[in-house]
Amino acid sequence: MKRLFGLLLVGVVVFAAVASGCIGGTTEKVTVTFLSTQLNPPEERVFVKDELLKPFTDESNVEINFVPIQYTDLITRLEGEEKTGKVTIDVIGDLHGGMDYMASQGWLTDLSNMPKLEGRTFISTFEKYSVINGKKVYVPWMSATYVMVVNKDAFKYLPAGLTQEDVMKGTEKWTYDALLQWGKNLKEATGRPQLGFPAGPKGLWHRFLHGYIYPSFTGYQAKKFNSPEAIEMWDYMKELWPYINPSSTVWDAMSDPLLKGEVMIAWDHTARLKNAIETKPDQFVVVPVPRGPKGRGFIVVLAGLAIPEGAPHQDEAWKLIDYLTRPDVQVKVLEKTGFFPTVEEASGKLPEGPLKILAQGVQAQASTPDALVAIIPNLGEKGGQFTSMYREAFERIVLKNEDPQKVLNELGPQMDAIFKELGAEAP
Amino acid sequence: MERRYLIPYLLLLPAVLYLLGFIGYPLIQAFYLAFTKDGAFSLDTVRRAVSDYYFWDAIKNTLLFGAVIVPIQLTLAVVLALFMNRAFKGRDLGIYALIIPLTISDVAAGLIWFSMLSPYGFLNKMLMNIGIIDTPIYFFGYQYRMREFLVIVLAEIWRATSIVFVIILAGLQMISREYIEAAEVFGAGYWTRLRHIVLPMLKPSIQSALIIRTLFAMQVFGIVLILAGRDIPVLAAEGFRQMVDIKDPGVASIYALIIAGVSLVLAALYVKFLRAEYLEVGRE
Repeated sequence: MKRLFGLLLVGVVVFAAVASGCIGGTTEKVTVTFLSTQLNPPEERVFVKDELLKPFTDESNVEINFVPIQYTDLITRLEGEEKTGKVTIDVIGDLHGGMDYMASQGWLTDLSNMPKLEGRTFISTFEKYSVINGKKVYVPWMSATYVMVVNKDAFKYLPAGLTQEDVMKGTEKWTYDALLQWGKNLKEATGRPQLGFPAGPKGLWHRFLHGYIYPSFTGYQAKKFNSPEAIEMWDYMKELWPYINPSSTVWDAMSDPLLKGEVMIAWDHTARLKNAIETKPDQFVVVPVPRGPKGRGFIVVLAGLAIPEGAPHQDEAWKLIDYLTRPDVQVKVLEKTGFFPTVEEASGKLPEGPLKILAQGVQAQASTPDALVAIIPNLGEKGGQFTSMYREAFERIVLKNEDPQKVLNELGPQMDAIFKELGAEAP
Repeated sequence: MERRYLIPYLLLLPAVLYLLGFIGYPLIQAFYLAFTKDGAFSLDTVRRAVSDYYFWDAIKNTLLFGAVIVPIQLTLAVVLALFMNRAFKGRDLGIYALIIPLTISDVAAGLIWFSMLSPYGFLNKMLMNIGIIDTPIYFFGYQYRMREFLVIVLAEIWRATSIVFVIILAGLQMISREYIEAAEVFGAGYWTRLRHIVLPMLKPSIQSALIIRTLFAMQVFGIVLILAGRDIPVLAAEGFRQMVDIKDPGVASIYALIIAGVSLVLAALYVKFLRAEYLEVGRE
């Protein structure tokens, strides 16, 4: 019996070796399939294929098949592969929220037994988030955040008592009330509303609502969704709206409106603002977001690298992950894409140029003493429902002028239900 | 005898299999997703769909788009086709020009109109340079939903009238000259010929053009998303949102079923009220 088992084992190993192309010398290259929802725009794809992955292939003799993919397509494909047991994906690059969903479905390998990644210290918050339900499901890869960009001309119309330095450094005086007054001044001076937000269907407006202004006014993203502080916040939004460019509801990204001069102050994701800063580095500065009564709420976005359960080339996949998280490689990614490093060793090597403007703004925001860091909550399938509730509240209260208390009374229980169903505490 | 009896069925078989596989199965799946919960019949999903804040608006807006766009397109296409159906110099060129928008996708068409009408787009810049206006006219944004609606109508007419035009023109060219000549002999003027001969004989073409256009109007999606975002919710976009953002396939199926249902009803009405008069057949 034992012999038979042993024989079988040998058979399996030989078959696996032959199937994976390991036997027969080094002539045959292994191809690792790398699916990523990040770095998808055409120019970033070119960078990934030609500059990022080529050196890796040269040093390790591992060929990478980089597949840019949309989140929904990734989920569909991975689900299909996991269910049929024919896994072809080796590495997945996706945002924390997506990883959380995939982990909840049991599709990701536990990485805690993998060899240690030498020479780098992952930022501790990121490290903490990459462990889901006690399982190390991904390695932090890149991070990003949302900031404000100001056209330097706008500084001419600063409200009394607020200086350019206050805004650039994010001092106590740089508040949402100051933003309102600034918006008023700008509209009076130019005749047009000069604030802009990406509130179109593919814009990231909901992130501003739950990750920025809600924490700033209530101290929480969702816990005080329906509270007197929230009402105060919505009243503020209604007051601010006349100074926001009305086309905001169709804008998905703020780079273009900034470059075309349609707005002078805009809030968006760093990656979606990068183009404006690169095109006119002398015209724009990146500044921290304003603070509210409870502090300065802002989101940190985290992308990670994971290996699916049953991935055909686990070792090579780990080699790729090792390569992508090296400090020098992370700096290269920052230079080309505007995604910030996740390892401490990289953040010291700030490159000069437009990127420095971005990095400085991000750093200024991160190091404000009143920072209230928000991580997009791990809601898996409920994530869409969660964000759409903020958008609905905005549409009804600000755009349709419904009574804030009435709207929050209707939506509040639905919000509570999401967290109750997940057994999680509202952030 | 036996075999001859079977042949028609055998010839129909591939089509039937195709329909069952690619239309029948998904349809059953959609009904299943929409009307069951944990394997048993339930109206839970329907309740969820109906209580969605955007549900009734989406139905209303979609029907409204259809009601506004389709008649305009049909009228325009008939007029253009009648014009293009006569012989004149440059006629072929004219037909090509009219058909060009057909090659442009709705998303691309949306982007073209968006950049043209945006506050710093071509139109506003031109008007400002001429001195007609001082500040740009806003066409996009929640407060300007009425304008957004009109821009979408305009973009849709620009983009999709050509498909109606092509069908109508083909229909016109199939009408035999003999009928027209016979009418002329009896002294019928242009309008009489149009009313009593051309239009009745065009009915089959009009019917197919109407059905095709209405089906597309019920599915309107990309162009709305680009020009109005979610300021104007429509059925297809809401279905997409439920599926992709909210991840509720049940509610998404309900939107899909509504689109299918409305299209089916409208198509049936066209068939009933536009019963084609084939002058050639039916006279024993």
